[in-house]
Amino acid sequence: MLCNSYCFKTNTYAMRIILSEDNDILRKSLSFFLESKGFTVDQFSDGKDALDAIEATSYDLILTDINMPGKSGMEITQYVRQTIGSDIPIIIFTSSGVEQTELDSFDMGANEFMAKPVSPAVLLVRINKLLKTRA
Amino acid sequence: MNNPQQPIPHNETERLAALRRYNILDTLPEDAFDDATRLVSYICGVPIAHISFIDENRQWFKSEIGIGVSELPREITFCRYTIMESEMLEIPDTHSNEIFKDDPNVTDGFKVRFYAGVPLTTPDGYNIGTICAVDHVTKKLDESQRNALNIVAKHVINQLELRTKNNELNAQKKIAERAVLAKDSFLANMSHEIRTPLNAVIGFTDLLAQTKLDIIQRDYIDSVQIAGENLLLIVNDILDLSKIESGNLAIEDQPFDLKKTLKHIYDLLKVKVPENVEFNLFLDADMPEIVVGDQGRLNQILVNLTGNALKFTQEGDVTVSVKKMEETDEHYLLRFSVKDTGIGIQEAKLKTIFDRFTQAEESTTRRFGGTGLGLNIVKQLVELHNSEIKVKSREGRGSEFFFTLAYKKASDIEIVPESFTGSNLGKLKILLCEDNVLNQKLVKSVIYNFGFELDIAEHGEAGIELLSKNEYDLILMDLQMPVKDGYQTTQYIRDEMKLTIPIIAMTAHSLVGEQELCYNMGMDAYVPKPFKQAALLETIKTVLNKDHKPAPKRKIDFSLIEEMACGNADFTKEMVHLFTEKIPIEIVLLNEAYKTNNSDTVRKLAHNMKSSFDIFLLADLSDCVSVIEEEAKNGSFTVKTREKMSILNCEIIEVVKVLKEL
Repeated sequence: MLCNSYCFKTNTYAMRIILSEDNDILRKSLSFFLESKGFTVDQFSDGKDALDAIEATSYDLILTDINMPGKSGMEITQYVRQTIGSDIPIIIFTSSGVEQTELDSFDMGANEFMAKPVSPAVLLVRINKLLKTRA
Repeated sequence: MNNPQQPIPHNETERLAALRRYNILDTLPEDAFDDATRLVSYICGVPIAHISFIDENRQWFKSEIGIGVSELPREITFCRYTIMESEMLEIPDTHSNEIFKDDPNVTDGFKVRFYAGVPLTTPDGYNIGTICAVDHVTKKLDESQRNALNIVAKHVINQLELRTKNNELNAQKKIAERAVLAKDSFLANMSHEIRTPLNAVIGFTDLLAQTKLDIIQRDYIDSVQIAGENLLLIVNDILDLSKIESGNLAIEDQPFDLKKTLKHIYDLLKVKVPENVEFNLFLDADMPEIVVGDQGRLNQILVNLTGNALKFTQEGDVTVSVKKMEETDEHYLLRFSVKDTGIGIQEAKLKTIFDRFTQAEESTTRRFGGTGLGLNIVKQLVELHNSEIKVKSREGRGSEFFFTLAYKKASDIEIVPESFTGSNLGKLKILLCEDNVLNQKLVKSVIYNFGFELDIAEHGEAGIELLSKNEYDLILMDLQMPVKDGYQTTQYIRDEMKLTIPIIAMTAHSLVGEQELCYNMGMDAYVPKPFKQAALLETIKTVLNKDHKPAPKRKIDFSLIEEMACGNADFTKEMVHLFTEKIPIEIVLLNEAYKTNNSDTVRKLAHNMKSSFDIFLLADLSDCVSVIEEEAKNGSFTVKTREKMSILNCEIIEVVKVLKEL
């Protein structure tokens, strides 16, 4: 398995991920999936709430949709990089097939960009890769 | 260094250009070069050997033994001298050589005592690198060693040339493959465009043939009919092929009467049997009558193979036989064979006869006609059935084409008994919704020929109006019409008017999924254009004969949600529940926003719904909301959104129903 060294089930400290996505089925499914893989997941459906949580809490990774009420994933990324000045790994996913969106995401400082529908297995690999690079 | 001046070949610029042409620098090791290096080491009996290339400022080793680095600065190499030479540079003892005795490679570093290097000269005369033998002790090569070293150097250059040619060929191959793809899609589009007017030509010729004609006119019309049918066959071949290649051709799973299908093929081809040929159809005694599979494609495969057999057989017999090989609780395994005593196929051609545009003989096309596509289509159709077609043949003796197909057994309910005959249909009153005047005229004549009555509406809206005033037995529905298309009209008839009147879709698209969509919308049958009179009559009989057949149920793919649920069935259930709760509400909101032209709300709802559909891999619905979202983003809705909205409305009901029944 790819995630051998990064399956945290047995660890006392689980990696903490913040997930902001306004579609509740997708959000709950992704949370369930990631929690099953040993992560702690805080989920938000509103971008503004997510950003407040990011400021108040120390997360290991941000997972965000672009189109959301409150604040968009782009705004969250911009705020984290420019205002907070944090280099926490950020994965942006969106159903927009527009190339510019992907370019903008990386411009803003996102570490990964994934087109929806997101494959859980691929998401897991990317998360592990980002966390591993940082570790 | 005694000589501070660095040696540079007089043609350095061209030499570097020549080197670059080979794209060899910084490539991965290759066996051919490593073998040559080993050979040099064996031949010369030295511990150090290498093949290297020299660019502006370094010597890069393509292959080396005993050096251990991948490159060296050009100014400290021996080989910078070798590329100045036209022949081998050999230094038996570096300590007694004026130029090299103080070289750092001699005094320390590699401790080079013996050096022999042959320049690698390109066919156009540039020394781009070297092949060398090096030792820590003094040495002198004998004549045969020198010869061998020169020969290896030539081989290395040949290898380089070959490598470059291969790369060029690969690039050309890619270009050619792209061109083929472009050609295929062009052919598919063209064939489709040609079929529509051809439909009219064949249809009207059919009608004309039924009028009173003198002998000469009859002869002309016969010729036109034959030419038209042949043209249609060719166009269909091309269209089929492009559909197969683009993966758009699906194998259907419908119960059909196998014996009847085979007898039909036999009757159809009987007329083409040459005088001295016996045409047989052998059916296994315990062959099943009804099986589940794709009747049309089996028909196509056998007509093609049998047609070929008859074409190439002047004398003897042509035999179509079907044998039951195996029977399980669910399947029959049947072996189909078409055998002839015709001209046969040369052994050398057997491998290529299934390729496109290939016929066994170059002269075949001239002698026997045909597109050269038939066998390729047959092969691909058999492969789409997860099987393989095989051929046995002896030139001058005949050929046999055979394959096995697995058919599902039909459950008893699926067999629709045929109790209707054409004569007792009576005087039907039929409504046609069709905007194309030519098609209107054609259908009208055909329907009158059947002895039925016909009213024509030029779009769905007009059709609905006629339907509310008059009584009809049946509706023929074109799919693409202005004002209200075939889907919307059907939906209105079923949902608003609550009528169960049989509706037959007529369309020139015949694409995967379209037929299914027609059934999902509540239509009863589907006739692809160009239609044959007999096929239309048959369909009319079928829909009037049977009770409403429920639309094939949608199958939902749970693989993604199950992957996310990591095997937790309760969680999957919870998500299904959430979906069935929220989607019906969202579609109501979406309809409202669409009706009030609130594009911002439409956009947000459509966007959100897309994620829900994606989780259950409802690709068609996901596409619908993508289109709607896109149009909402532009702030104005076209007929595209209207169409997608009606599909969405219809399909969501079905999906939610299926999910709730779980």
